[in-house]
Amino acid sequence: MHRNSLNRRPGLAFALLLPSFIGLIFYTLLPLIGVVGYSLTSWDMLSPPVFIGLENYRNILTDDFFFGYAVGATLYFAVGATALGMVWSFLIALLLNQRIPARGFWRATFYLPYVIPIIGTTIIWGWMYQSSFGLFNFLMNKMGFDKVDWLGKNATAMPSIIVMTIWGIGNLIVIFLAGLQGVPRTYLEAVEIDGGNVWHKFAHITLPLMSPIIFYNFLMSVVANLQSFGPAFVLTQGGPNSSTLTMVYLIWREGFQRNRMGHASALSVILFAFIGLLTVLIFRFTGSRQFFEGD
Amino acid sequence: MKATTKYNIPAALIVAALGLLSLFPLFWMVRSSLMSNLEIFRYPPLLLPTKWRFDNYAKAFTLLPFHRYFLNTLIIAIPAVFGVLTTSSMAAYAFARLEFPGKNLIFSLVIASMLMPMACTIIPIFAGWASLGLIDTFLPLIIPPFLGGGGVNIFLTRQFLRTIPRELDEAALIDGASHVRVMTAILLPLIKPVLITIGLFTFVYNWNDLMGPILYLNSSDNNTISQGLANFRSGFGTDYRAIMAITTLTISPVVAVFLVGQKYFVEGIALSGLKA
Repeated sequence: MHRNSLNRRPGLAFALLLPSFIGLIFYTLLPLIGVVGYSLTSWDMLSPPVFIGLENYRNILTDDFFFGYAVGATLYFAVGATALGMVWSFLIALLLNQRIPARGFWRATFYLPYVIPIIGTTIIWGWMYQSSFGLFNFLMNKMGFDKVDWLGKNATAMPSIIVMTIWGIGNLIVIFLAGLQGVPRTYLEAVEIDGGNVWHKFAHITLPLMSPIIFYNFLMSVVANLQSFGPAFVLTQGGPNSSTLTMVYLIWREGFQRNRMGHASALSVILFAFIGLLTVLIFRFTGSRQFFEGD
Repeated sequence: MKATTKYNIPAALIVAALGLLSLFPLFWMVRSSLMSNLEIFRYPPLLLPTKWRFDNYAKAFTLLPFHRYFLNTLIIAIPAVFGVLTTSSMAAYAFARLEFPGKNLIFSLVIASMLMPMACTIIPIFAGWASLGLIDTFLPLIIPPFLGGGGVNIFLTRQFLRTIPRELDEAALIDGASHVRVMTAILLPLIKPVLITIGLFTFVYNWNDLMGPILYLNSSDNNTISQGLANFRSGFGTDYRAIMAITTLTISPVVAVFLVGQKYFVEGIALSGLKA
């Protein structure tokens, strides 16, 4: 009774939410309308935008061969980094969830690279990938292989960036570990009593109970990995031969280096539509498979 | 009970091996930052410098205006932390404690904004700041954190507020305290852990941000630390010794913040996954 009268304060609520409203309008809604609008123009930022209809889209889909490279590189990176990242972080979390000494210390160890700025990560790894004096080529020589120009060859540049990215996903490990720690021991013991082995415990208890967290990490990884910018910007400038030309790097290059804002906006709209569609599909596809304990 | 002291030795060994491997790039950075130019380009590489050259760091300071970048980054990061904390807890209080029409719809909009791919709207947002004549000022990086503080942070604070019994604030409300007073005097001290978590993440985010400064801060006097390092790397691409020293200096503050506030980082990130 009291609760309703005391807390029914729409005026106050809207005042408290005012900054968020301004954010939603000026940083989400209007920019979305704006990017669609600009995508229909030719605009170099010096003179006013000129309406040209769907010309940018036509140009992207027919003439702009960088777009094709960017689609390939973006998908390659997103699929590779997400798949490897999910498997790697889940494995590390499973290991950390065993009875091991100094678990907190090791958890921090795996988490630490996540807070390192991307510029630091790329510089450190770039130095290790360096073709003449780098650590990795020393190890290659030691194992009897020839040196590899890791970041300078089409075949190895993107895999090198993916491995570097996996180093920095300690956040996924910590989220997985927290989830694993919430799996009730009694369930696992029940499987043991019924004669189940490690695989049974994993497949029938751990995995289903973890599915909401796997879903969350997967979705967040995919959305983030489709927007990769730092490695291309710092390490490769999209090269060699556009093999690491991610879509966001292309958007930046077209818009802010070549002053083709309309073209870059059209690329942004295409990326947005793709991420949006994929998000909906992921929700549709995995939503029914999730297992929520209780409610 | 009986198994509590029995460690899983194979798991412990694999964790230790992979953990040390994960630390290795940082070791390699520090090791390279302390070498002479002759040593750093030795092949096969040395594991450690023969003499630890700490003067590399002193020299790095003379190669670029490090203190200037440091200051610029703080000018952005400190207001950003303040903005995120105030506006996200305001919104969280409204969602956790108040009743108003359209609450569920507005809340789902805030949650949905968490998935918004920010890279797709950089052009219109840039155009907006440009039309206000604010390019090459810190404002395009300082003001956005005051616009609600991000869906994730509103969500985390709201979840934390919901764990605090309503009886506590209702007693104060019945005694005549205002909602603002309940929020600031009673609830804020109780939700300190989540505020520290959000504050630390916001600080690290702003320290590390590369794209924002690249878009908005053109003149080198206005560069942030990540941006300054990126520019230095493209300018002095082969002076690895200086680059490694500057990289070490750049990431040390976030590493220090992480080590001190480790508990909050771990709890915050774990919570964000579990409650979603």
